[in-house]
Amino acid sequence: MMTDNPRQPGSLRQAWLVILLALLYGGALAATQTTLGPRIAENQRRETYRVIPTLVAVDGAAKVQPVTLALADGKKQEVFRVVADDGATAGWVLPAHGQGFQDRIDLLIGVTPDVATILGLYILDQKDTPNLGSLITEEPYLGQYRGMPTDPKIVVVTSAPTTTCQIRSVTGATISSTSVAEIVNRTIESLKTPIRRWRAENKP
Amino acid sequence: MDTFVTIVQLAIAAAVINNFVLHYFVGICSFLGVSRRIDMALGMGLAVTFVMAIAGLLSWVFTYYLLRPFAPLPAWVWHMVGGDPGVTIDLSVLSYILYIFVIAASVQFVEMYIRKFFPGLYKAFGIYLPLITTNCAILFACLEIMKQLQDPTRLWGLGEALTLSIFGGLGYTLAIVLMAGIREEMDRCDVPRSLRGPGISLIVAGILAMAFMGFAGVDRAIETTFTVLMKK
Amino acid sequence: MSSSEPTAMERFINGILPENPIYRQLLGMCPTLAVTGAMKPAMTMAVSTAFVLIAANLMISLIRRLLKPHLRILIFTLTIATFVTITDRFLAAYLYEMSKALGPYVPLIIVNCIIISRCEICAATQGPFTAFCDGVGMSLGFALALASLATVREILGSGSWFGIMLLPKEWPHWTIMILSPGAFFALGLLLGLANWISRRRQEAAARQANEPY
Repeated sequence: MMTDNPRQPGSLRQAWLVILLALLYGGALAATQTTLGPRIAENQRRETYRVIPTLVAVDGAAKVQPVTLALADGKKQEVFRVVADDGATAGWVLPAHGQGFQDRIDLLIGVTPDVATILGLYILDQKDTPNLGSLITEEPYLGQYRGMPTDPKIVVVTSAPTTTCQIRSVTGATISSTSVAEIVNRTIESLKTPIRRWRAENKP
Repeated sequence: MDTFVTIVQLAIAAAVINNFVLHYFVGICSFLGVSRRIDMALGMGLAVTFVMAIAGLLSWVFTYYLLRPFAPLPAWVWHMVGGDPGVTIDLSVLSYILYIFVIAASVQFVEMYIRKFFPGLYKAFGIYLPLITTNCAILFACLEIMKQLQDPTRLWGLGEALTLSIFGGLGYTLAIVLMAGIREEMDRCDVPRSLRGPGISLIVAGILAMAFMGFAGVDRAIETTFTVLMKK
Repeated sequence: MSSSEPTAMERFINGILPENPIYRQLLGMCPTLAVTGAMKPAMTMAVSTAFVLIAANLMISLIRRLLKPHLRILIFTLTIATFVTITDRFLAAYLYEMSKALGPYVPLIIVNCIIISRCEICAATQGPFTAFCDGVGMSLGFALALASLATVREILGSGSWFGIMLLPKEWPHWTIMILSPGAFFALGLLLGLANWISRRRQEAAARQANEPY
């Protein structure tokens, strides 16, 4: 007790610098956040929105409208509806993700308004082996998906495809290649019915 | 069942596939510094695991309730002071500062607790505890948890966060103990003079990293196995 | 250390080669290994670390007379964490792709031992100008080390340097060099090379000193 009491004012005297610095730094951080925050948010938004119209390949200025759909298992999922100039649906862009070879793969799938054909694929994020698994982000592999029917399911083969529902895997990266196809199959399967229901309800 | 598979996958990914030391290169300083003898390495590894678990738990709590966008606590305060409900309060700019203090506090707490209740254990790895505050592996675990919480499509629960920190710590222990075992043997080897010390340790770590690359894809195989088992 | 503290110029020179943070002091290994797969991320990291190091050194040096011994580390950490947050936000706002590629390694600058050791060794005892020179010297040394490692790894691993193709298309990419094992191998061998060069110079100097006899 004897030692505690005189320490009380002393500790404040010792800590004033810390408190002052904390306030100063807090101010600096608040200033940084207010100046740069909107720009960062814009960067994050643009990252997804930039590729959406190109995936569906519409001419002219296409509008992107986020739509939240209820899935069969009760979960909600946001998808993007690309609206052409005349107000009709030009296509849908579905965000999807799943386990790749190394880490999670994040991608966007563009499909026709009736979800019958794939219009394009874009890999947002993957961490698979450089020069090997990472080739799934490139045109020779991704381009194969363009124009593919969503029914029956996409199958990955290691030789030249013989039917329309086959994709040739990247040599040496079969797992990465199959992962992408599985993610696409799974996402389209779970979203096909909700999108068609939305279309029936909203009659765009 | 689904959650169980996710947790198993996550544990294996954190411990061996994306080993903190050999894949993410965090905690290299202690990995090279405290890996001369196996018992020391084990002590350090367990101390790191312990602190990482506590820091992971605390940083999940802080991030989930306070620091992520749409966090409940700041939103409630904002609501109480009558702020515009359309504005999202995002305090994530404070995360790094908070994490570093969470780590420092957990180290202090662990040190006090062990000294009081497990004096034997304290003798064994008490000396490593102060070193841990600047161990990047722990901050890395906090940052991973933050990354998962900031993305609404991931939004980890406490279980996932704890799995990552505990198994990440165990992976660190595994790597540092393996390294110590190899270095003990290497004392009897004729290493070129210029490479002695950290040089050869780094090359050995490279070989270890190469060996650990063989684990890639195991988590996917587990997912497939479980799906097949579920169907039966 | 008390009688003859290094001058600003000595601090500057020391940071670059004689006390190089990576090759001599073996500090700050995590970013060195993690971001040197290519030159661009390595140089972004070098500039970010330089900013934090110089700013923290200046700040600590300005308030050095007010520091209490037991609150010292707390203040260092607080200062470094603040500057790192500012750097991180700045990168996210203006170099978004790079900030995504560097990921957690930008915030990990907080626990980069180089910065805290410079605050402790130099900034807490010497004036702002010396601390500034020390920060610049150390940053240059760090950048040099990152550049050497990234050059080796990017040229062997991708055949390019700063994204510019140097080697012919037929070059078989040593993908292992841009993966984690390559980082360890490259740094281990470069460390060996640095030791070998400095030992040869020492031996040469010793021989010269002995010759007159």
